Amino acid sequence: MELVAKEMEIRIGKKEIIKNMSIHVKKQQFVGLIGPNGCGKSTLLKSIYKSLTPHKGSVFLDEVDVLKTSEKKVSQRLGVVGQFNEMNFDLTVQQMVMLGRTPHKKMLESDNQEDFQIVEEALVRTNLIDYKNRSFLSLSGGEKQRVILARTIAQQPKFMILDEPTNHLDIRYQIEILSCVKSLNIGVLAALHDLEMAAHYCDYIYAIKNGEVYAHGTPNEVLTSETIEALYQIKCQTYINPVTKNLGFAFGL
Amino acid sequence: MKSKEIGRTGNIYYVVIFLLIGAIILSAVYSVSIGQVNIPFKQTMDILLHSLTNGRLGSLDQVESESYLNIILQVRMPRVIYALLIGMGLSLCGTVMQAVVQNPLADPYILGISSGASLGATFAILVGFGSGAFLSQFGVAFGAFVGAIFASIAVLVLSSIGGKATSVKLVLSGVVLGALCSSFSSLIIFFANNAEGIKSVTFWSMGSLASSSWDRTPIMAVIVLLGCGMFLFQHRVLNTMLLGDESAITLGINLSAFRKLYMVITALITGTMVAYAGMIGFVGLIIPHISRGIFGADHKRLVPGALLLGGLFLIWADILSRILIHNVELPIGIITSVIGSPLFIYMIVKKGYNFGG
Repeated sequence: MELVAKEMEIRIGKKEIIKNMSIHVKKQQFVGLIGPNGCGKSTLLKSIYKSLTPHKGSVFLDEVDVLKTSEKKVSQRLGVVGQFNEMNFDLTVQQMVMLGRTPHKKMLESDNQEDFQIVEEALVRTNLIDYKNRSFLSLSGGEKQRVILARTIAQQPKFMILDEPTNHLDIRYQIEILSCVKSLNIGVLAALHDLEMAAHYCDYIYAIKNGEVYAHGTPNEVLTSETIEALYQIKCQTYINPVTKNLGFAFGL
Repeated sequence: MKSKEIGRTGNIYYVVIFLLIGAIILSAVYSVSIGQVNIPFKQTMDILLHSLTNGRLGSLDQVESESYLNIILQVRMPRVIYALLIGMGLSLCGTVMQAVVQNPLADPYILGISSGASLGATFAILVGFGSGAFLSQFGVAFGAFVGAIFASIAVLVLSSIGGKATSVKLVLSGVVLGALCSSFSSLIIFFANNAEGIKSVTFWSMGSLASSSWDRTPIMAVIVLLGCGMFLFQHRVLNTMLLGDESAITLGINLSAFRKLYMVITALITGTMVAYAGMIGFVGLIIPHISRGIFGADHKRLVPGALLLGGLFLIWADILSRILIHNVELPIGIITSVIGSPLFIYMIVKKGYNFGG
């Protein structure tokens, strides 16, 4: 699915967080949003998945007008892996992943064989099959985030939004989660902090500063010393990592 | 780990539910057979069978006294039905409230309902609605119901000011309004020159099933059972409530609308129960937790389990309140706390209970 967000303007209270921003994610593209804390990445994503109502602008997933369509219809197409959130009550991993089937269910419909099959596949995909009957709250941060990813996969979305999904996770979980999402071959819009990860996984990058698109293009076009210095106000030197042949970054104040 | 599986996997769950229903029926029969007037068990059974089967089974020939019939059918039967309904209602409202405000400390009374009802009841007892025949008859129940409903509406309005009613705002509004209502109650008590009235306010606040009677049962039965019936089918929404607003939206459910709906319904149920039986504390807090320990936090299984467990618990609390001290009927609220607390402590200490997992 293609995501087009046009001329978005978002205010929280009196403060204008997003100013006239447009984003385009083509079919099966992995698009990254980078920028310093507080630049408006999360706010933009929230307004795309209907958690916030934008002041102006339009969001289209193919022909579906996201802002005018019900949460249920949108959630049948759009899955979200957010920043890690705490829960006060506990569910088993399987029950947690089963919640991903909610958008596809009528109020009184019960879970059928097909749903269990889908949940099983999502658990296999995220390497969680042995955790099926574990309690969610007993898992580590990285495992919890994998469960959330499994839940989103069980939702069978045609498009996925990731809001800093790998915060607080160690390097292995970061790679696991992003690789897993990449392997789904659906359109992805992801806010990322780690520039090397962004360079490696993204097909296209939007750099955001003060609620506006500062630069956009392929990773090689956007992730230059000048842009990064302007975005984060630090000194930065890019290089090609001799081992991975990927883009690398050296920072200093 | 093993004991945690009980009641969660497939068939065992249905066995547990079946056992609970059986236990409720047996306990109800036992409850009817005991009391201050000593009626032999055999005669109790005769009377029960006779009236339940409309005379086809059981005969009244051996019943020694006509008054036994009255005691069993008009006093004890409605009382056990009351206990069952109120137990179910409290435990249902507690389960729903804990999900609505995403807080394990919530109970049916948390959102100002208890203080509102107390204020209403205190007002009715100490100030009164005048000598109008209709209102003075229903005085306390009416006052408590109106107080409960007003308080919960006020909490809803207060928490919706300036945007969505989030769970934190709900709890805070409940606490603030509760404090306000309590201070008004205190004010009324302070200026009331009526020792007898103050005593009955205290007694009311401890909860009692003594006012049970057949003519009040239908209203309560309809409200409680409709509420139960509805929430049995709300498990999808209740489950997503556990995840919080943000995640629920991404799963296609807008929680703030459901929160308001659920609050209004639980307020109605709780208001009715408080009006008829006063405040029976602890059941609505503890039974949902015990049920989570047994059935897990998935509301599809939790709600039916909690309903039955709540009913069973209150039937037994009522039995104990009548037999613990000879010829004295203890307020049931005391009993529920006295057996509830140690049970809960045991669960936390021994079973490593962590809210459902």
